[in-house]
Amino acid sequence: MRWITKHTSSLWVSLCLIAIGLSAHAQSTEIFKDGFEVDARAQAARFLDQASFGGTPAEIQRLVLIGNAAWLDEQFAAPASLQKPYLDWLRTNNENVYQQQRQEAWFIHSAQLADPSNPLLTHNDQLRQRVAFALSELLVVSDKNAALLFQPWALADYYDTLARNSFGNYRTLLKEVTLHPAMGRFLSMLGNRKTDTALNIRPDENYAREIMQLFSIGLVQLNLDGSPILQSGQPIPTYGQNQVRGFAHVFTGWNFSGCTQASYSDCEPGNPYEQPWTTPMAAVEAFHDTSTNKQLLTYSGAQPTGGLLIAGGNAQQEMDIAIDNIFNHPNVGPFVAKHLILRLITSNPTPAYVARIAAVFNNNGQGVRGDLKAVVRAILLDTEARTGHIGSSTFGKLREPITKLVKLWRLTNARSGNGRVFRYSHIRDEFAQFPLSAPSVFNFFKPNFAQPGEIRNAGLVSPEFQIATDTTLVSAPNQLGWRIMLFYQGSRYSVVYENGVPVPEETLMDYSALKTLAANPSLLIEHLNLHLMSGQISGSMKNLLINRLNGQVPDAVPGQAPGAPDMLLWRVQQALYLIVNSPEFNIQK
Amino acid sequence: MKIDRRKFIQESLNKALGGAAACGALGNLALLSAAANAQSRGTIPSDYKALVCVFLYGGNDSFNTIVPYDATRYNIYRATRPALALPQAGITAMALNPQAIQAGLPGGPPSDGGSYGFHPAMPELRQLFNSQRVAIMANVGPLLRPTTQAQYLSGTHPVPPQLFSHDDQANFWQTSRPDNPNANGWGGRMADLLFASNPNQQLPMTISLDSQSLFQRGGAVDQYVMGANGAETIDYLGAYQNELGTSSFNALMAEGTQAHMFERAYARATRRSISTYTLLNAALTQAPTWTNAFPESNLGKQLQQVANIISVRGSSGLNMRRQVFFVGLGGFDTHDDQLAGQASLLAQFSQAMQAFNSATEQLGIASSVTTFTASDFGRTLSTNGDGTDHGWGGHHFVMGGAVRGGRFYGQMPSLAQFNNPNDAGYGQIIPSTGVDPYAATLASWFGVNAGGLTDIFPSLIEYPNANLGFMG
Repeated sequence: MRWITKHTSSLWVSLCLIAIGLSAHAQSTEIFKDGFEVDARAQAARFLDQASFGGTPAEIQRLVLIGNAAWLDEQFAAPASLQKPYLDWLRTNNENVYQQQRQEAWFIHSAQLADPSNPLLTHNDQLRQRVAFALSELLVVSDKNAALLFQPWALADYYDTLARNSFGNYRTLLKEVTLHPAMGRFLSMLGNRKTDTALNIRPDENYAREIMQLFSIGLVQLNLDGSPILQSGQPIPTYGQNQVRGFAHVFTGWNFSGCTQASYSDCEPGNPYEQPWTTPMAAVEAFHDTSTNKQLLTYSGAQPTGGLLIAGGNAQQEMDIAIDNIFNHPNVGPFVAKHLILRLITSNPTPAYVARIAAVFNNNGQGVRGDLKAVVRAILLDTEARTGHIGSSTFGKLREPITKLVKLWRLTNARSGNGRVFRYSHIRDEFAQFPLSAPSVFNFFKPNFAQPGEIRNAGLVSPEFQIATDTTLVSAPNQLGWRIMLFYQGSRYSVVYENGVPVPEETLMDYSALKTLAANPSLLIEHLNLHLMSGQISGSMKNLLINRLNGQVPDAVPGQAPGAPDMLLWRVQQALYLIVNSPEFNIQK
Repeated sequence: MKIDRRKFIQESLNKALGGAAACGALGNLALLSAAANAQSRGTIPSDYKALVCVFLYGGNDSFNTIVPYDATRYNIYRATRPALALPQAGITAMALNPQAIQAGLPGGPPSDGGSYGFHPAMPELRQLFNSQRVAIMANVGPLLRPTTQAQYLSGTHPVPPQLFSHDDQANFWQTSRPDNPNANGWGGRMADLLFASNPNQQLPMTISLDSQSLFQRGGAVDQYVMGANGAETIDYLGAYQNELGTSSFNALMAEGTQAHMFERAYARATRRSISTYTLLNAALTQAPTWTNAFPESNLGKQLQQVANIISVRGSSGLNMRRQVFFVGLGGFDTHDDQLAGQASLLAQFSQAMQAFNSATEQLGIASSVTTFTASDFGRTLSTNGDGTDHGWGGHHFVMGGAVRGGRFYGQMPSLAQFNNPNDAGYGQIIPSTGVDPYAATLASWFGVNAGGLTDIFPSLIEYPNANLGFMG
């Protein structure tokens, strides 16, 4: 039902009627019949699902009052929440710092938990954190790499680099990412050196290849709408091995800041918190190639002329020329636009939607290319983002596993006694996902993954389904269930409650508000429908849940001693579990 | 051709099922199988065979895995890789004793007449080679057809797209269809062709112990993805006094209740997961204790699960006659610090392979289980200082009782830095054997007939010899 996307939102109620009249989909009827789509709060909740890690009751109310555009302006102005200061704070307090502590900072920012390192920080930069997360799945580094496993500061600072630049310019971001020591380590540009024939050493091609294939232009030439340009029915490659070698030679001579010619082969800092891990790499000119002409990308208007960089420049000069050469390739707009749309809005955007956003990337209206703030604004306010789901049975995306826990914590005002975030952390394995922890530079899932069956047969893609395996479709519900059933304020579960007191670092959900509603199962379900499902629950699922909540309470409620079961608590647990593991919730529409 | 008719049947059935794909839903799969059986072949073989793919993610540096130790070749190797050459004594101590050539049959000592040994981290695999359980397939890699250096350098000879790129080359290894980015894996396509071989149509023929593998992605058969520690079950279902909760959960997942295509896919995948783990876990209670314990490593655990599943293949258990497994080990992209990094990976690989071989012997079915390696690519002979870059061809291993082991197959490449007739440039070695004949030799052993091989590996016709002869 893509035809509807061209119309303005002021018309959409009547159009919706037409759409429903034409559509055989039961869900569309339910949406209308239940009336939630005409509820401004449901629209606000849906917007916040795309633009944040999920709307809290207060934030949904506020968005209704101020409107999407004003909310975006607020978010663009909000200061960035950064992970590195959290690790520094832990170190100052003689606490151990591993990757898990980087995870704590990520949860504190994404779920807006109380920050023990600085109670004054409210971390009200949801949009920035959401976009940074999306960028972390484009400009991938990972602690699964042995060289980065024990470098939490490097990865925290890398994530901070993404967050700082989320509303900046993509050219700046691309250069900062290129020169970050975490990326340098991950894709082995750090320590890369010019040819040494005697030792049979050649410039490393790893970063040269991936900056083109994965971070900017992809393998084939693209139209503005993201579709491949075809020549005699075949796609046209964007680069070949000559370009890979050209950039590999450009990217020689870079190492940790403070590294010298003498220490070049071994200047890794002895400790993970030392400054060179969080400082841009610096050039050691003696190892930079100055004798090779370097073939860079060629395209209409490419600089240098013919894409040929004549030998002789120093490392810094050639770096800037190379970044410009990549950044100005016509593919970058559709490539980045499509990635961000897929991460925030829908797996299968129309080509026209991609083209509209790519055009904003190419020119923000003031002649600036690569303005991510303009791109993010355009993605979220686009007609397709706002109304593309109406009458469609394919719009949307599978929720990323880790975001489900964050959304749950945001709804239930989760907190721990001392502000730390869980002692027992199996999150990464259970969800097959954690920020900056992908199996490889190809992220957790690939953009073209299509779930075998109906989705694939329809020619659609569903990237997130790649990690919805038989294994994680069991482990993720179990992990979420474990948290819902046992990790709440007042739970007596031995893991969260020791020696008569709650374990101070375990993050516990607060069910008090939900329990008040649970006296009336319908009210509880309506509340959760709005806040977890943007008002999109089907009538059949609602009835099913209400029936469940009216069922017999067992002798023992999870987390409580046997005896007098707390019916309201049990209802909250059951409702949350069944919703977050339902097909309807799991597809963000 | 049969596959086309089968495809037609599948598509018709899909439509008959109201657009619900046959792949995931077990009931549909059984239905489809029945229809396919009725209308085409569908003979159930009397014997059992399993094919196990061990994917070495990142591109294993096979030129530091199988290394010459005779003076001439060792010196060439050492000169090419001054910073990375393994000490000669260590290789000599790991010498391989290949079988002599048998008249009229391929396989024997290395084609270049050299003396080769394994990396010192692989004593177990050496023992398996010398006892003829393991064969070495020299210098395999993605090709569209046989390719010489002159042809490659001419620039006009067809070669696979995006050589030296991880994703593209790993995809080639798993699909053999570089022309089609949406192609299924060749393991999955074998299963599509042969799934009627299994009396049990509920359990997919393809099982991955290492997340979704492209190798096993199929059209009709959708791989089951299992954790290395076994099939976890959903805690909520069947919990104490939770009958209504269980039925509510099942109702949410029930077929026909979701309006959105992605919701249907999510529900279908969940149903499939539950019914498969229920089936598997019931059978796996009968798995034996392994005499030769598996190592605690990730690959060791994966292969132990494979052995467990194979152990209950019989009619009182899973009732399977043909199975394809996928296991994986990552970390081979050794741009940095290769000497330390690769050694620990090869040790893990070697130990896990030995334990797995031992398990198949304990079950008395070593000749029915063939294990082979695949990897993104080989690595460059040249170095980045303390590591190596993305290459092209590389050596591979095939293990099992049906393998004509203790032999080298194919052509050994030169390891020279200069004037190397196998060098595509920068020490990226042009494969002398394509992935297609390597894979087709395995598929043929597994039971794919000539017509099926051509369907699965369209490029096979470019090779004079479609069967490399390493399977007995």
